[in-house]
Amino acid sequence: MIADLKEIWRYRNMLTNLVRRDLRSRYKGSVLGFLWTLVNPLLQLIVYALVFPYVLRVNIENYTLFLFVALLPWIFFSSSVLGATTSIVSGANLVTKIYFPRLLLPLSVICTNLMNYLFSLSIVFPVLLIAGTTMSWHVLWLPVVLLIEFLFILGLGLIFSALYVKYRDIEHIMSIVVFSWFYLTPVIFPVEAFPEWVGSLLYFNPMTAVITSIRNVLLYASPPDWPWLLYTFICGSVATLIGYSVFKRGEQTFAEEL
Amino acid sequence: MDSQTAISIKGVSKTFKIYHDKPLLLKEKLLKLRSNAYTRFYALKNVNLEIKKGETTALLGRNGCGKSTLLKLIARIMRPDAGEIRVNGRLSSLIELGAGFHPEFSGRENIYINASIFGMSKKEIDAKIDDIIRFSELGEFIENPVRTYSSGMYMRLAFSVAVHVDPEILLIDEILSVGDANFQKKCLEKIESFKHSGVTIVIVTHDMGTVEKICDRAVWMDGGTIVDQGEADRIVNLYLQHMNQRFVENRKREYQLEQAKKAAEHAEEASEHTEPAPSDLKKAEPVAAGEPEEEVRWGSKEVEIIAARILNDRNEITDIVESGKPMTIEIDYKVHKPQKEYIFGMGFYTADQTLIYGNNTEIGRLKLTEIPPTGTVRFRIRHLTLLSGRYKLNVAVVDGYHRALDFIKYYMDFTVISNDKAVGIMSLESEWEVPSSFDGGARSKHEVCQRGT
Repeated sequence: MIADLKEIWRYRNMLTNLVRRDLRSRYKGSVLGFLWTLVNPLLQLIVYALVFPYVLRVNIENYTLFLFVALLPWIFFSSSVLGATTSIVSGANLVTKIYFPRLLLPLSVICTNLMNYLFSLSIVFPVLLIAGTTMSWHVLWLPVVLLIEFLFILGLGLIFSALYVKYRDIEHIMSIVVFSWFYLTPVIFPVEAFPEWVGSLLYFNPMTAVITSIRNVLLYASPPDWPWLLYTFICGSVATLIGYSVFKRGEQTFAEEL
Repeated sequence: MDSQTAISIKGVSKTFKIYHDKPLLLKEKLLKLRSNAYTRFYALKNVNLEIKKGETTALLGRNGCGKSTLLKLIARIMRPDAGEIRVNGRLSSLIELGAGFHPEFSGRENIYINASIFGMSKKEIDAKIDDIIRFSELGEFIENPVRTYSSGMYMRLAFSVAVHVDPEILLIDEILSVGDANFQKKCLEKIESFKHSGVTIVIVTHDMGTVEKICDRAVWMDGGTIVDQGEADRIVNLYLQHMNQRFVENRKREYQLEQAKKAAEHAEEASEHTEPAPSDLKKAEPVAAGEPEEEVRWGSKEVEIIAARILNDRNEITDIVESGKPMTIEIDYKVHKPQKEYIFGMGFYTADQTLIYGNNTEIGRLKLTEIPPTGTVRFRIRHLTLLSGRYKLNVAVVDGYHRALDFIKYYMDFTVISNDKAVGIMSLESEWEVPSSFDGGARSKHEVCQRGT
């Protein structure tokens, strides 16, 4: 494993180039270009912000911001997991032709989405300031929360990207899973909106602590939900270890299966 | 593995599963909806090979012999099922060019992406980018998106990146057909300069000229195993001889099948029309398509050539013969009206209808005045000295005044396979003598190899 980490370090230039290529190619040729990275979540936000308070009459204070700060890390999660799952197959022309550490493929997808999230923060902070949210030093915990989210995504990404090479159903299964997962995570509703017994179960979803913690540090000027974040960290570590071994085993036959 | 070994391959096997019906969906795999049956195909069987540092080694063999699989295993694109491959040094592969090229990005940007996939750091690329661009000969096109490139430009850029990786071990798979003749020359020169600077090179190619020119050693593979290995010259000769033999065998089989089919059709037609035998000959004649018949065959038909054929050294009817071996031409005739004298002849033409060789019974100092009403005339060649190529056979019978009785200018085409790599149409038993730089007296001899002589 240490040898693998060393090798990934040696290939770090490939990782940055892959990320840069993905970031730049996504919007190459479009008029707004890179702005689409920001416009996309913004439009989603507008839809949710109109539907829930005005159509469904959800009464949460400052609902738009409540949604805004949670939706972006969720998009980071969902598009990373879905993108990483198909990463080996879509990188088939690389895998079958040249040697490089295969781990770079799912890793680059996750890094690309992380970069997208970080760029979107350039909108989040001004919006928060304009809305008059009080900032506290707890906001400095944000990188830690993101790191834990990253770890959890990496675990899932490794498992499913390796399996997807053999079982192509996984792509469809994953899109349903991620879709349902969205409603089992307090992104559009607070945990309190659920019946109490459901609410307590929700915390076993590792993403719950990530979303509530990000809300805490950005919106409520309070510390992350440390106990449950630790739980997410453990889940992420276990998933990454399992993912690593699944990936390593699958890796042997990638070039043949593709 | 000692320090002089660059690549050590020990007991390596690789199998591929060939699914008769590949189940890709989970449901199918679980429910076995489609047949899960597969056969194992051995791409490599217990291969052992040591490649020394600084050596240039060629992997030879026909398609599917496992040479490309072996290269991919060395490049770590695939892993062996059994055995061990150890590589000692920084490895670069020219197996597939242009990995990760993005059509929307400029040539310059793609250099950075592509080179980073080869494991180069940004600093290394920065240092080499000008060399890479110069080598690719793309000039100002380097700033244009790669999608606007011609395939030649694309390959030039890709090759240019690949050769600037500064490898210690270089794997090359059939990519010397890049770009135009000039660029190809440049590629070969680059590879030769790698060789001189001590880079270990493993190359897969079908171009024996390249092998003989730049390789020290050759490994001949067939059916996933190593048949023979050693000095490039020796292995290339063995391999070519083997391939010629195979080619001859295959063609002979095809020809015999064709003849059998024709004979069957013949018999069918004959039973339908019950035409006299001689007219059937025309239908069976393999004459060049589109040519008017009178130019190909003429004569009074007072003596008729019923059939002619080529026999190889084992007296098998064929249309492909090996140079250096005996060959026989048989002419079956039938006398309709006896003549005072008969002369039988034969000739070889090139595909563009130039006469190469002609001979007849008169030249052979035979005066034929009385011959049986039907029979077979044979022209025996002890050593065929034609070079590889496609030739035409001409057969004829004329009377004593050289009036054509039956003259078939192009009776059939036949192929000659020769191990002599000389150019032209005929082989000469020969050798070169050049002055030696040591004492002026010693002779450096290179004999023209010719099988069977």
